[in-house]
Formats: sequence, C-alpha cells, structure tokens
Amino acid sequence: MNANKSARKKRKYKDKALYYLKKLALFVISVFVLSIIVFWLSRLTPGDPLMAYYGERASQMGEAERAHALTRLGLDQPTLTQYIYWLKNAFEGDFGISYKYKQPVLSVIAGRLLNTALLGGISFVLMFILALLLGIFCIWHEDRLADKILCKVGTIISCIPEFWLSLVLILVFAVILHIAPSSGAYTIGHSGDVADRIRHLILPLIAVILSHLWYYTYMIRNKLAEEVREDYVLLAKAKGLSRRDIMFKHCIRGILPAYFSIMAISIPHVVGGTYIVEMLFSYPGIGTLSYEAAQLHDYNMLMVLCIITGVVVIFFNILSQIINERIDPRIKAREKTEEIYESLGENGGVING
Amino acid sequence: MPNLLKVNDLSVSFFSPQGELEAVRNVSFSLNEGETLALVGESGCGKSVLCKSLMGLLHSGAVIKNGEILLQGKDLVKMSESELCNLRGSEIAMVFQDPMTSLNPTLTIEKQVAEAVRIHNPGLSKAEIHDRVIQLLESVGIGQASELCKLYPASFSGGMRQRVVIAIALAGNPKILLADEPTTALDVTIQAQILDVLKDVQKKLGLSIILVSHDLGVVAKIADRVAIMYAGKIVEIGMADEVYYDPRHPYTWGLLRTLPALSDGKHELYTIPGAPPTGINLPKGDAFAPRNPFALPIDFEKEPPMFRISDTHYAATWLLDKGAPDISLNSLDSIVSKQEAMMQHKSGKKTVRDENILEVEHLSHRFKIRRGVYVNAVKDVSFNIKAGEIFGLVGESGSGKSTVASCIMNIYYPLKGSVRFKGIDIFNPKEASKNKDILKTKRQLIFQDSSSSLNQRMTIEDIISEPMVINRIKPERGSMKAEAEYQMKYVGLDASYAKRYPPELSGGQRQRVAIARAVSMDAELLVADEPVASLDASIQAQVINLFRHLRDEHGCAILFIAHDLAMVKYLCDRVGVMYRGKLVEIGDTAEVFNNPQHEYTKSLLAAIPKPDPRSERQKEIHIYRGETHECE
Repeated sequence: MNANKSARKKRKYKDKALYYLKKLALFVISVFVLSIIVFWLSRLTPGDPLMAYYGERASQMGEAERAHALTRLGLDQPTLTQYIYWLKNAFEGDFGISYKYKQPVLSVIAGRLLNTALLGGISFVLMFILALLLGIFCIWHEDRLADKILCKVGTIISCIPEFWLSLVLILVFAVILHIAPSSGAYTIGHSGDVADRIRHLILPLIAVILSHLWYYTYMIRNKLAEEVREDYVLLAKAKGLSRRDIMFKHCIRGILPAYFSIMAISIPHVVGGTYIVEMLFSYPGIGTLSYEAAQLHDYNMLMVLCIITGVVVIFFNILSQIINERIDPRIKAREKTEEIYESLGENGGVING
Repeated sequence: MPNLLKVNDLSVSFFSPQGELEAVRNVSFSLNEGETLALVGESGCGKSVLCKSLMGLLHSGAVIKNGEILLQGKDLVKMSESELCNLRGSEIAMVFQDPMTSLNPTLTIEKQVAEAVRIHNPGLSKAEIHDRVIQLLESVGIGQASELCKLYPASFSGGMRQRVVIAIALAGNPKILLADEPTTALDVTIQAQILDVLKDVQKKLGLSIILVSHDLGVVAKIADRVAIMYAGKIVEIGMADEVYYDPRHPYTWGLLRTLPALSDGKHELYTIPGAPPTGINLPKGDAFAPRNPFALPIDFEKEPPMFRISDTHYAATWLLDKGAPDISLNSLDSIVSKQEAMMQHKSGKKTVRDENILEVEHLSHRFKIRRGVYVNAVKDVSFNIKAGEIFGLVGESGSGKSTVASCIMNIYYPLKGSVRFKGIDIFNPKEASKNKDILKTKRQLIFQDSSSSLNQRMTIEDIISEPMVINRIKPERGSMKAEAEYQMKYVGLDASYAKRYPPELSGGQRQRVAIARAVSMDAELLVADEPVASLDASIQAQVINLFRHLRDEHGCAILFIAHDLAMVKYLCDRVGVMYRGKLVEIGDTAEVFNNPQHEYTKSLLAAIPKPDPRSERQKEIHIYRGETHECE
C-alpha cells in the first residue's frame, strides 16, 4: 500500500515535470522560429541599410566605398551566413551594435525598456482592475439604465482609433488646458523625479486604457452574465446567501480562470497599443525605438526588439494555456479524489451512492 | 392541524414579446405541518414557477399579479428582498432538479455545506461548523463524510450530489422543503434512494415537503396529498388515495393511463391528444377542453370552479356539475379498449422475421482516462437483433449503452469484437467500403436531445431531405419537397411545418422530425439512443406509439436504448440489461420482466415507481452493488 502510494506520487511528479518540459520546448522553438522569420523578412524589405549607419552620406558614396562599408557591417554575405553569425554571437551575449546609435544594441534598449515597462505594466494592471469592476457593476445593474448607458458609451469609445484618441487628448489636455505634458517620459534633467514621470504618464495611460478597456469589460460582463444564470447560483440564493456574497464568493470564482487566461492572451494587444501611443506621445520607449529601427533598417536593433516583444507575447500565451489547463477545477478534483480513495483503500472513479 | 403555508389566489405572469404568459393562474392551496404535498403536471404547467414564487426566487421577468402567500400568517409577496433573504434556508429551503449543475464546481463539498451552516448559525466556531457539516452529510446517508467532504462536486455521482443539495437545504433547520423534480435527472434505483432520504429526514425533523414532479409514479411513494396542475391551474387536489384510486378530473385520468407501468401487455399506449397550451392566449373556458374526450359544450365557454367531492378532495371540471352526464375513469378505459381493438385488427401480422439484421459479438471498448489508465466502458457484449424486431437495451447512466450504440454506428472503433449489419462486417475496411451505401442509408441514428441534434439554421424540409441529397437518392415522389412532406405526414407532422425551423417546434415534434429524417432513407435498423427521455409523459406516449407504428408498417428493426424500464417493457420484443459495461441479462421482454434472473435486473424492476400509493409505501428498496467498472 505504502509502496504503491510513493510510486503514484513519483509518477505524478514525473507527469508534471514532463508537462512543463513540453511547454518550455514549445517556448524555445517558437522564439527560434520567430528569429528566423524576422531576420529573413527584414532583409527582404526594400531600402538601404547603410542609411542608418552613415545617414545622408550613404547616398553620396561611390561603388568601392559602398562595397567596403557593406563588408565592414557584414552585409555582403548571403542571408543564411549572416543569420548563422548572428546566432553564434547572440549565444555569446553579443547582439551587435545599433547602426543608428553606434552603441551596443542592448545598452540602447536598456535605457528605454523601463519606460515601456512602466507604461505597459501600469496600463495593464489598471485596465484589468477597471474592466473587472466595470463588468461586475454592469451585471449588478444588468439591463437597467446604468448598464445600458455604460455599454453604449463603451461601444462608442472603442470605435475611436487609438491614434486619433491620442491626438485629441494631446490637443485638449496639453495644448488647450495645459494640464499635462504632451510628450516625453520626463522633463529633461529630471529623470529621477517620480512626480514628474507620473505627470508624463497620465495622457499615454489614458489613451492605452480607454482604447482597450471596453473589450475586456464586455468579456467579463458576458462571462458573469452566464455565470449568474447557472443553477448553483439559484441554490446559493435558496441557501439564504445575500446577492453580494453570491457575486463575490461564487460567481467571481467561477470566471477567474477564464479571466486570467484572457489577461495573459491580451498582452500582445496591449503591447501593440503601447507602441502606437508611444509614437504619438514621442515617449522614449521600445515602441518608438522599433519604429525607428524598422524605418532605417537598423537590423541588429530590429532583431532584438522583435525577439523581446516575441518572448513576452509567447511567454504569456503559453502561460494562459497553462492557466487554462491547470487551474481547471476538474483537474484539481480528480487529483484530490485519487488521494482520498487511496486513503479509503478503494480504486478510482466516481463515487456512487 | 394548523396551516403552515397558505397560498390564496396566486397568479404569476411572464411578459414576453409574444404577449403575456400566464404561468400560474389563481392557485390556492394550503400545506400542513409535517405533510408532503405533491404538485404533478407536465412541463410548462407552472409547477416550477409556483415553487420558485414561494421562495421569492422568480427571475426579474416574472410578475406576481395578485394573491398572497401566507407563511405562518406573514405575506411573502409583500416582503422586501432582504426579508426574503433571511427567510430562505431558515424557513423554506429548496432542492433543485439537476444535481449535476446546482453545486458550484469550484468549491469543495465541505465549503458549500459550511457556507449554508454559517449563514444560519452566525455564532458557531470553525470546529462546530465542521461537526455540523459532517452531521448533516451523514443524516442524508453519505458515509465517510469526513473524508469525502473535502472533494469537489465533480467527484460525486448524481445521486450523491443530490444528497449534498438536500444536506445544504437542511442546514438552516427549515420548516418547509421545496423539492423541484429532485429525482428526474437520476437513475431509477438512485431515484428511489433519494425519495427514501426525503421521507427519512421528514420523519426525523418534522418537515413539510412540497414535491414537484411530472410523474405520478414517483410521488406515490411519499405524497400525503396530491395536486394536479394543468396550464397554470390546480385542476384536482386531494389525499393521495383519493386522487389515485378515485380520480375525478379527465386530465388526471389521462395522466394515469399514459403511464406505461399500468398498460401491461396492452398494444397501444393511451395518449392524451394534442399538446399542453403554452400559456399565451389561453383558450376560452376550460384550458383542457380541447384535449378532453368528454368535453361538454360549457367547457368551451366558462371555466369550471373547484367542485367539492369530499372535505379534502376537490376537482375543477364541469363533469362534477349536477346536470353533467355520468362519466368516470371507466368511460376512458372503454375508449382505450376500443382504440386497441382497432389497432389489433390492423396489426395482426407478425413482423419479426427470422433473420439477423444485426449481430454484435464480443464487443469491448475502453476509454482512456489518462496515460496508462483505461476504463472498460463495454466488456464482451454479444447480442443480435432480428429484422423487424424492437430490441431494448436498458441500464443506468454510465452502463455503456450509448457506447454500444456508437460502435454499431461506426462512431467508435471498438477494442475487440465484431459487429455485422446485414452480414457486413462494419469494422472491416474492405467490406465496409464496398457496401458503404447500405451502411450509410440502412442504419440510422436518433439522438436523445432533439434540440441540439437538429441544425437550428435549416428548415424542417431541408433537414428531412438532406440525407437523400447527400446520398444522391432520387426521391420516390418526384421532388425533394414532396418526399419531405410525405415523410412528415408519415410521422404525424403537419406539412405546414416544412418551412419552419427547429426552435419553433416542441420537443415531441422535433423528435418526430429526427425520426422522419431517419425513416426517409428507408432504414432497416433504427438506433434510438434515449429518444423519449427528455419528453413529457403525454408526448412520450405519442412518440413511443410512433415507434411501434414504424415497426409494424415499415418492418424496420429498432435498437431502443432507455433507462425507463416501463417504456421498454411496453415497447420492446426482447430486452438486454447492461450493468457497468456488461450485458448481465438478455431475453424476451415478458420473460425478463416476469422472471428476472440477475440480481441487478431484480433490483431495477423493484425500483420502478408505480402510481399506486398503497403498495409504494410498503416497498423497500434493495440496491444491487456488484463490481465496479474495471480499470486497467
């Protein structure tokens, strides 16, 4: 009996380890494939990569000078050879230099990463707290005036394109009212001033949150609307539970796994949204950097930025898969059932009565 | 005895785009302390709505138009939501129909019961609550409760879950327990156990129970009084013995006669003609009049009042008026026997032919639970079906009946064994592809749930003619349209339905469409997987009669899968009993039912509820506990 138990435990850990190993392999393969595609595509786009390094001078170069420059940057090789070199160096931690900034790519990005992480992270957290609260609010007042107005307002706002919304925000709050600064992440020379940073974040945050909030609010509203119609809610009501208890102790629990996986899956949307907003507010983040890199054929920069974005997106996608597969109460239930049967000394299956 | 609950002239309506739906109309009744009142009627008669309105659980679309619900003198209709909230669970508690969905899947059993305990006893400590939870679970017959309560609902079978729901209902020591179809979703042996639990807790705690059911058989065991509902009204109410042995309302007669348990060996099941009204634009006069074979002219003009038969027995029918002709249950029986004589005359020929249309040999199938662990859903099952024979396959849920059907229809590829249809080995790829036209057309499947098995975006005509289109069969009657209309008439559907969509039809009509689709291929074997399980008693009888007609006139064999033994007894020529994946008994229906050999069959047969309160009250339930599913 005891031997049996330890064998089962061993098997359980083995199963779990295998599960996570599979997910890790999936992650690594995805990032690898992504790097190949980005590398290849960036070489296919028309334009002159020397423009990034030499600026205007690139167009005035003679044949020989040009060939020399290409050789110096390693761009005269076939794409495959270039990729292999890049990969070899990348494994050693060397991602090359940025053609534009003439500095190692990583050090350029390091200065910007925090800005984007701040904007993206804060808007992500705020957005999901707000979406959950608004969703609950709508269901609490389902089909009454407040719910209807909120839904209509949401529909209208989510129809406004992000870039236009950003421009209007700049016009109203920065140009006319002078309440908030219109661009940048901090006033020059005050990069350590927290209050100043927050003031600079207000408008970009509003732009990102407003344009993404409604979609998730609806999702939560609909999930909750299904949940409050479940039979167990009726039973909870018949028990004598108050409406508040039913909503917060039962219904929210029911939608949480779905909610987490929606959150994880939404990362790419939020990241994409942040990039657009960064551009419009000249916010010195990864978004503006990517735009520059793509325009100027700053290949090394582009590669790293795409891979950072890709890693974040793929990681959260796989995380949402894991949430969906592991948080499912049925899985927990089955594991627990097995344990208890073990202690009762019967074999598995559903308990019959 | 004092009245615990008194309902006076209660009316509840829903307002829908089609108009006002009168779900409950002027209902009055009372409930005494410690008594069990059964509310019986078909779906849509308002019994569930009535039940929910007693607890203030109606959803926002429903309106209590008039009347009062007096609980110990206090009117529930006038109470605010917070007052009702205090009342729920502590005065009135409720048990719902489907135990599979009424527990929260994300909380353990202990937490869900403890929550109910905590609401009603706010002062208790954690340990006291735990003790009370265990005590409650044990009182409803859950053994080893202290271990099992740590599980999630997903680990419990339907019967166990219903026990948990009852335990939750008892947590606040209520005076009244409302049980809304508490056993409908359960197997027949489990059903009997749950009724025993209800009876048991009633005796121990002195509860009053309102038991809602569509089945007069189920309530016979524990009901003290019975109220029959039709179209939102109580049409007959009285002590159980009075209603069962001296029914006065023609609807009650019809309900008693549609139950197959009573029609031993009769050829035709009595059916109440037509379908119950929806509650929108109810007919003038007595709502039952259009379906009543004894309707008097006044029935179509004026609603009958409640006539008094005895101090406890009342019925609303003009037949009890002084001037009415003398009509009783015997008059209905004479109509039934006349119908039957006609049918017998018509179908005197013997339909079962001595040739096997289906041979199932040593069929085994298993499902993977996870890596390395399998459950044997079907184990070494062998039987054959002769041409023109109706073969019944019975067993509780999870016994493997549907898996057998799926193997026969080539949906699953079995682990072992063979299935021959008309001599074709259906799992032999060569033979199967050579005879694929026969396999595709001559075997047809009919599902349980007609609302999800018919495509909602196709018209009835398209649904019926689709198999002919797919198999490129030239319609016998000229066009596809004519063919579809012919098939519809054949199964008793009006041709005007051809252009409608499935959601516009009732459950019985949809099941007729499913049958018409199967029959349009001139099928020789119909595999019907629980075809009547989701239908009302009076509609069930109609569909069952249709199956019989199909066999008699068409000569097709039917594999009829059901958990309702009475239905099988009535319809089938031979029957096989399945238990946990094995075929434990097989034989002629009469033989199996009169002289069952296997212990399991015996316990199944004993558990069938009969609409006969006197014998039901005496009955004791023996549960067969054989081996469980084998796992590998």
